[in-house]
Amino acid sequence: MTVSAPESSAALVKPTAARSYRIWIYLAVLVIALSTTRIFTGADDITSSGTLRAAVIAAIPIALAGLGGLWSERAGVVNIGLEGMMILGTLGAGYFTYHYGVWVGLLGAAVFGAVGGALHALATVTFGVDHIVSGVAINIIALGVASFLAEALFTGLPGGGPTQSPSLDRPPTISVPGLSGWTESLEDKGWFLVSDLAALLNVVVSQLSLFTLVALVLIFGTGWLLWRTPFGLRLRSCGESPSAAETLGVNVYRYKFVAVTMSGALAGMGGAFLALVASSGYQNGQTGGRGYIGLAAMIFGNWRPTGLLTGSLIFGYTDAARLRSGGESVHALLLVLSVALLAIAVWQLIRGARLAAVLAAVVGGLGLTWYLRTDTIPGDFTQMTPYVMTLLVLALASQQLRMPAADGQRYRRGEAG
Amino acid sequence: MTDTTTTAAAAVSVRGVGKRFPGVVANHDVTLEVRPGTVHALVGENGAGKSTLMKILYGVQKPDEGEILVGGETVHFSSPSDAIKHGIGMVFQHFQLADNLTVLENVVLGAEKLHGIGDAARTEIRRISDAYGFGLDPDELVEDLGVGERQRVEILKVLYRGAKIIILDEPTAVLVPQEVDALFENLRELKSQGNTLLFISHKLDEVRAIADDITVLRRGTTVTSVKPADVTQHQLAELMVGEELPSPSTAESTVTDREVLEVRDLQVDDAQGRTVLSDINLTIHAGEVLGIAGVEGNGQTELVEAVVGMVRPTRGVVELSDQDVTSWGTRQRRESGVGYIPEDRHRHGLLLDAPLWENRILGHQTRKPSVKGGWVDKAGARIDAQRIVHEYDVRTPGIDTTARALSGGNQQKFIVGREMSGDPKLLIASHPTRGVDVGAQAAIWDHIREARRRGLAVLLISADLDELIGLSDSLKVILRGRIVADYDPQTVTPQQLGAAMTGAKTAGEEA
Repeated sequence: MTVSAPESSAALVKPTAARSYRIWIYLAVLVIALSTTRIFTGADDITSSGTLRAAVIAAIPIALAGLGGLWSERAGVVNIGLEGMMILGTLGAGYFTYHYGVWVGLLGAAVFGAVGGALHALATVTFGVDHIVSGVAINIIALGVASFLAEALFTGLPGGGPTQSPSLDRPPTISVPGLSGWTESLEDKGWFLVSDLAALLNVVVSQLSLFTLVALVLIFGTGWLLWRTPFGLRLRSCGESPSAAETLGVNVYRYKFVAVTMSGALAGMGGAFLALVASSGYQNGQTGGRGYIGLAAMIFGNWRPTGLLTGSLIFGYTDAARLRSGGESVHALLLVLSVALLAIAVWQLIRGARLAAVLAAVVGGLGLTWYLRTDTIPGDFTQMTPYVMTLLVLALASQQLRMPAADGQRYRRGEAG
Repeated sequence: MTDTTTTAAAAVSVRGVGKRFPGVVANHDVTLEVRPGTVHALVGENGAGKSTLMKILYGVQKPDEGEILVGGETVHFSSPSDAIKHGIGMVFQHFQLADNLTVLENVVLGAEKLHGIGDAARTEIRRISDAYGFGLDPDELVEDLGVGERQRVEILKVLYRGAKIIILDEPTAVLVPQEVDALFENLRELKSQGNTLLFISHKLDEVRAIADDITVLRRGTTVTSVKPADVTQHQLAELMVGEELPSPSTAESTVTDREVLEVRDLQVDDAQGRTVLSDINLTIHAGEVLGIAGVEGNGQTELVEAVVGMVRPTRGVVELSDQDVTSWGTRQRRESGVGYIPEDRHRHGLLLDAPLWENRILGHQTRKPSVKGGWVDKAGARIDAQRIVHEYDVRTPGIDTTARALSGGNQQKFIVGREMSGDPKLLIASHPTRGVDVGAQAAIWDHIREARRRGLAVLLISADLDELIGLSDSLKVILRGRIVADYDPQTVTPQQLGAAMTGAKTAGEEA
């Protein structure tokens, strides 16, 4: 006899108009905070177009993996195998791009990822294997298969070796003539807010990879497909209440199968982005846990496309900040974070949540002390930034999240009623 | 005495249908004729095979033998969509709704081709809702709806698909009397418009009130078909169980003056800080049954959880035999003699996939005979599980069977048996006979009465007003988290209680 199971709270499940304009307010606050910090600390790189471009490039693979997770989990299958499917995607991208060019490479990555997804679907949907067990198995299998095939496919090619592919073509990029030069010069002025926004604009109008555009189309297209079409309604119903779906004549198995396979394809495309845009070819171990971070971004995003994109950008940004003048940038971000935590503490105190207020105040205070007593963050710590951020963000966000009701549960036909 | 109505084409006929599951025969040789445009009731005990038969009719499960005819034509359903195509719709006992989707989404799911998923569908849902007085808003989330409204969503789902034959699986099990009346109004309206209704129940008074024909199932097969006018409730019950109709009434009072449970000024707030229970004062003596009447969701759950120790009260005191136990945990309270029959046996009472003997240990994991010297005493637990199965007439192949394989009534009997073990001083019985058939109901009542005679104090929460009035020595009514009235079960009527429960107060004495 256990203590009562978690009850869903009704207040926070209406992510409609009210929520979408709140995002813009948060965004504005964030830009102002970063701009102020840049002026105050002189850490120019925290909003430079270079950092922001790197942030987008780091964010897109995470977002694609997260999008894969969204497809799968909206249909009720937990997909911890995203990492493995992503690995397969990097390999597919490496092989097909070398032989047939970047667009076939992207397709090949999707197909390789989809094979991993189909395997996961076969195990979890058809045979009812525990989702976590199957996903972890796929991660391990994918790692082995990828390094085996890499050795078989790339050894002996010019510039290739047993652990990496030859250097590959990059996907084409686009720039808006005129605008890109203008934003660049504006950014160089170093004005408060104006230059930061110019840097932001510069990322969009200059050297934008077509793969990034494809990814954005996929993310917003998914939002439309899953929330505005009968197909999407059926798919989501499999994640919310498969038995209800079955009693209404929805073929639950088929929808789950399609969703999980699609999930693998998207994760595979995330892998392609890693291999072709974020670096210049396939390498063993290239994913570095981004599949898991994608899963975290999806959870942070409350199982919604716009949310997971936001989450991915946060992770991408911290990743980029650590790479570009890491010690200094992360040091400046520490200030932002500490002040934000202190503000949260005050807000929680007003709401009467004393424990949360004290916790936020203590952590924020420690952060601020650390900031004031040092000039930079040691390299060992900047390495961890994206991961610490993952933990922190999830801890703060998890209070208000709602997963699909039947997510992760085994479903057998004929159990309805 | 099979009813031989010679209608040209019955809406549904079932001929010699059988269905076996591993180790159980759920249905054999089931024969049934449903005339079009009537309400046909199917009655039987839990585990008599009613639900299996309905699942076969709706295509959720395939029969092993026999044939089914719809409108005179032989049909083979391999999935619910086949049944839907033949105009059969089903309202399940456990609602088949996705909480996080809106009414609209729940209704159009699987039938998107009819009116799309946008405004056309919205208009159609409004039209049906208005035509039958359902009062549903297509854009509301299902999780924000009450039980009665959810059921209307289920019926709307069926109507939206244009079903002419509607199966209702124990539709009244979850409703309070007023909601049952409203449902019956809806059903009569449906019938008058030419629909055929198949109504499953084990509440015989309701069946006699609404049905045109009654078919009785016992132990997986159809026993007979009768007209409601031709049988009394008594005869119907005998057909169902083959024995006397039980009554919940207790004999002479056994109340003593020894206080077992005392609750003073109890207040409970939920996670959002809203007060869900306040100013609760009650005392239960040894040998006394205190009944709490109320519409579900008015604080009964919180009251029970506060007494059992599952939630911490914001204010107030809980005393067991003059000892303050407010700060005690659930285990400590149970060890000091509290038995608890939870309202949701699947969520709180049982490990569904564990065998019965392991379930015997639950809640007794520190006590004999399940435990010896800090280790689980498997032999002792098994012997005692066997005792419960025997004494409480739990129908099961054995104690190694998983709890899930038992029917609801037998699961409940097992829980009652377990909670009565180790001679508790106080029994908290939350809907002890919910979803349980007449036979098992009588057995559970007998056990509660017997324990009461031996000096057990009982806190009884129930939605069955006859059960409350029959078993209780005193009655309190709970509304919006407060005790609003006291009644003497000797004199009160179900109508008075119903009025006090819904706040439409008439002549109740204010507490």
